[in-house]
Amino acid sequence: MLSRVADTIYWLGRYMERTNGMLQVILTQYISSQDDADDFQWRSLIKIYGELTDDEIKSIETSSSKALAYMIFSRTNSASAYNNVMFSRENARGIQDHITKEVWQCLNDYYHYIRDDNLRKEASIADPVSSIDFLIRNGLLFTGTVDNTMTRGEGFTFINIGKFIERAIHSTDITRIKMNELRNDPHEGHAAMKLRYLLYSLFGFEVYLKTYKGNFTTKNTLDLILYNPDFPHSILYSIERLYKYFGRLREESLHENYERLEFLIGKVMNNIKYSNLHESDIKTLDAFLFQIRLDLFEISAAFSKHYFGNS
Amino acid sequence: MSQNSLLQSYQEQPHVWDEMFSTAGIRSSYKNFVSAIADLPEAEMTHKDEMAKKLFMSQGITFTVYNSGEGIEKIFPFDIIPRIITGNEWALIEAGIKQRLKALNVFLKDIYHNQYILNDGIIPPQLIYSCPNFLREMINVNVPFDIYTHISGVDLIRDDDGKFYVLEDNLRTPSGVSYMLENRSITYRIFPDLLPKNNVRSVKEYPDLLYRNLLALGNRQISNPRVILLSPGIYNSAYFEHTTLARLMGIELVEGRDLIVDNNYVYMKTTKGLQQVDVIYRRVDDEFIDPLVFRPDSILGVSGIYWAYRKGNVAIVNAMGNGVADDKAIYTYVPDMIRYYLNEEPILQNVPTYQLADEDSKKYVFENMNKMVIKRTNESGGYGMLMGNSASDEEIQNFKNAINAEPRNFIAQPIISLSSTPCYINGILQPRRVDLRPFALYGPEGISIVPGGLTRVALKEGSMIVNSSQGGGSKDTWVLA
Repeated sequence: MLSRVADTIYWLGRYMERTNGMLQVILTQYISSQDDADDFQWRSLIKIYGELTDDEIKSIETSSSKALAYMIFSRTNSASAYNNVMFSRENARGIQDHITKEVWQCLNDYYHYIRDDNLRKEASIADPVSSIDFLIRNGLLFTGTVDNTMTRGEGFTFINIGKFIERAIHSTDITRIKMNELRNDPHEGHAAMKLRYLLYSLFGFEVYLKTYKGNFTTKNTLDLILYNPDFPHSILYSIERLYKYFGRLREESLHENYERLEFLIGKVMNNIKYSNLHESDIKTLDAFLFQIRLDLFEISAAFSKHYFGNS
Repeated sequence: MSQNSLLQSYQEQPHVWDEMFSTAGIRSSYKNFVSAIADLPEAEMTHKDEMAKKLFMSQGITFTVYNSGEGIEKIFPFDIIPRIITGNEWALIEAGIKQRLKALNVFLKDIYHNQYILNDGIIPPQLIYSCPNFLREMINVNVPFDIYTHISGVDLIRDDDGKFYVLEDNLRTPSGVSYMLENRSITYRIFPDLLPKNNVRSVKEYPDLLYRNLLALGNRQISNPRVILLSPGIYNSAYFEHTTLARLMGIELVEGRDLIVDNNYVYMKTTKGLQQVDVIYRRVDDEFIDPLVFRPDSILGVSGIYWAYRKGNVAIVNAMGNGVADDKAIYTYVPDMIRYYLNEEPILQNVPTYQLADEDSKKYVFENMNKMVIKRTNESGGYGMLMGNSASDEEIQNFKNAINAEPRNFIAQPIISLSSTPCYINGILQPRRVDLRPFALYGPEGISIVPGGLTRVALKEGSMIVNSSQGGGSKDTWVLA
């Protein structure tokens, strides 16, 4: 496969995963804002999913409607969900002969939905939950369409490699941010609620309830998010899938390139698998998650160098 | 004319050859088709028209217009009524194009090697050396099998006498063939059974023929030479065509940044390292193809590809430097080339053309500007031209000034009244002007032309400009067996 095509399809996977991840976080934040009228503001998320100065953030941080419009629908914000979908579609246009017609049409439809003024209006003046849910469902439809229509060739492998790298980074980042918020919150009574929203942000609320019932503890939450091998958004699950998909490239790779990536992915996978952070203090946890993040970025850079021809 | 309401409203135009109607009624080639649609209610025809548009959009047969960073999908307008060509007419077209391409191909070999045609005084040398598309870099370059014009699209028009004339030879990177293929695939969806009932010849072997010719150009002693299609990328208006052809031939679609030249061999960058390329079907113009030799600011091409080509390490299709043969000023001399190289009389005539570098011609043209179309020799796509019958005095004067300044850059042709054909517009059939671009493939085993082509249609009422950039559309073209 052409390096450029592999690069493009890898980023297609990353953009789409990023879109769904961020929409779920925004949705959770919106719902929590309705629970917590106590001086709620969107500053932390606008910083992550935007590119505004502090002064500019001030002008929209207390308005849910403005904050959502900026993070989801803005055309000038290069990190908005709209632009993620647009970039995905541009990528897909450039490699149409490597994806199926169904995948292209699904993505094309998603693009037309997210630029639809009616949806924007609904999010702004009616019910944002319905609008965001609708977009998330389209993201899931894309994932299912990829899974059900694409042949298990290099294209499918690279789209999944992109997806699971992005997911692992996303789960790591959101866990770090939320655990730090928890540490800095003076109200002990808020812990269960904050853990609940962390789980909700990572699509893990239901699975947590089924696994641990209604008892929200930091230990169980971390256990699910870091180590659960069956929860699709756990960090270990994401990296194990990454390892599995990468293994399919063995025959298609130059030996030395394959070995380098296999080492990096294996290292981060085993670092997680053989760690034990259940009882650790929050500082150790933060350093550990930060290291995982660095390792994941190193893997991404190594793909770029060894497989996508970027030096 | 028929009593049917669909046909009743059709206005015949004086002094224009109509493809479907003659003074005696419906032409025999159209009778089957007309009888199939004659009794269809308007609602059904409109439904077919809308269905065709939906099929184009849903199948992504679109081009993208970029407006403030956003891509807007548009379809190339399609008219559902096919243009029908009889077997006898096609035989003449086919023979005429083959003859013309043979002569043009020999001309390219000659002009870049011995230049007998200049030495024998058939073409004035100053016309060649003043042509911006004459590439000195191609002199004494030997191309595989001496073939330059692997893919060409010769534009034909029909005057009021019913005869076909050649309007233009497109020998560089002619586009439109994907629409020939897609138009056919839409026709069988909207008019089920009509194609076999009319004995329409198939066009779908085009990608197979093209691939076979490309494969034959590989210079390495290996069983499966690597053939690729080089595209300028997604922002090119013909990108849809590039992806379609690559998909139909099963070859890799690459951009300039995917290729690298090392030691005069061309490689593509893959996830498995560099892989050598043998044949490149390029859709990048000459001037952009190698920044080391041509435009240094080009990012669409590949540095060093010219020398790889020159050394015979990679075949490039079409050959570089073909622009000298389809230059509008050289066009006048194609009939002379046919006589000179082939010792034959041209089967297809040129549209009479006046070289404005010639004083007598210029004087005649200036006196008859309102009957002339003036074209710039180095422009295409319907740009840089003046229709004398509809231009204002000021526009005419501006053109005269420009001609006086650079007479070599202009030619004039009498305004030919392109033939008309019925189009389904606003619920009725209306006459619109058309041309025809058949696509010819020149390979080591000879020239093949798939029976059909792209019929371009000027959808604006009264317009004679069929180019898609100027509001033109297209039709399916049926050649009857």
